[in-house]
Amino acid sequence: MAAMVTKTKLTNLTSKLLGWRMWVQSAFLLVWLDPLGLRLHTVCSPVFHCYACPLATFACPIGILAQFSALHIFPFMAVGLLIAVGALFGSLICGWVCPFGFLQDLVAKIPTPKFDLPKLAGYLRYVVLIGTVLAIPYFLGEGHPLFVCRVCPAGALEVAVPNMISQATAGQQIAWPNAVKLTILGLFLIAVFFIKRPWCRILCPLGAIFSLFNRVSAFFLRFNADKCTDCKQCHQLCEYGIEPEKSPNSLRCNRCLECIRCDPGALTLGSIFEKPQTQKSAFENPKPSSVRNFCLLLS
Amino acid sequence: MLTKKTKIIIFCLLISLGVIVLAYGAFFHSIKVTTNVEGGSVSITKSEPALVKEASVGGVTRDKSGKVKQTYTGKAPEACPT
Repeated sequence: MAAMVTKTKLTNLTSKLLGWRMWVQSAFLLVWLDPLGLRLHTVCSPVFHCYACPLATFACPIGILAQFSALHIFPFMAVGLLIAVGALFGSLICGWVCPFGFLQDLVAKIPTPKFDLPKLAGYLRYVVLIGTVLAIPYFLGEGHPLFVCRVCPAGALEVAVPNMISQATAGQQIAWPNAVKLTILGLFLIAVFFIKRPWCRILCPLGAIFSLFNRVSAFFLRFNADKCTDCKQCHQLCEYGIEPEKSPNSLRCNRCLECIRCDPGALTLGSIFEKPQTQKSAFENPKPSSVRNFCLLLS
Repeated sequence: MLTKKTKIIIFCLLISLGVIVLAYGAFFHSIKVTTNVEGGSVSITKSEPALVKEASVGGVTRDKSGKVKQTYTGKAPEACPT
């Protein structure tokens, strides 16, 4: 019975929280946006949020990986944090915690036609991770125009644009970001209206790291083939073009968990902390088909 | 498809690795940074958390000789130069 209760608790909690996802993301904003002015930039957060932003509590892990790569120093703290958080949550961070993902989710609420992306587009994230975060800083230094912080739209949107506005309003000379950064920001601002989470799905290096943990993280998406009626409702619920019943722990999954709304309940959030179902609990909650078979047998 | 037991083993290994690497960086890892002072330059040792803060404002760079060098003298910059 206890085993059953543990499982029900997580499933219940997930289904209750699902309707509140935006509020969960908003609540996490209070952590990242530094309302207390703590400026704890000696440690990284596990989310994509530019540390140059005046409203950033922590340092950006991608910025630190790139800066340390340019310095030829191994960033133990950032790597350790990403491994630990990735092992625990995987891409759940992207879907529920990341402020830049939240921003894109908010814009996606605007009713515009949304286009899907080819599956291969997701692999570009690994090119960005290896290229602009690790290789370019290591071999060409932080001054290169393709150094990740110099092209990052989060930095442009959270820091460069507000800076330019404040400089313009104060009558000072405007410090323009480089052309590549402005182009990427422009493309991002257009794409965000027509593609669901374009940055996360095409270019985000942090999402690329967390997605690698999806198959082994403590919290994962579980598919129960017995409950699946092959109705394909999960395909319609998934806004990222993933077929959750085929690959519930896909590298492209952002763990928004919308697919667990499917009526047959074949997809649930699982955890390695759950105890296995006992024989007793299976009898206490028999499947309808088992009951029917048992009645037929009796009759 | 990984079994639950395999998942638990992988999770334990990863979380231990993550915590050990994080703790090593936070408490034991330090880097020598060259800083300019009046009449020359001196080498000081900085902990990784301090270097993370410096890196977040563009306060350190790597010179041609491979040494990590502080980019400013006096007060640290407030924002990243990028």
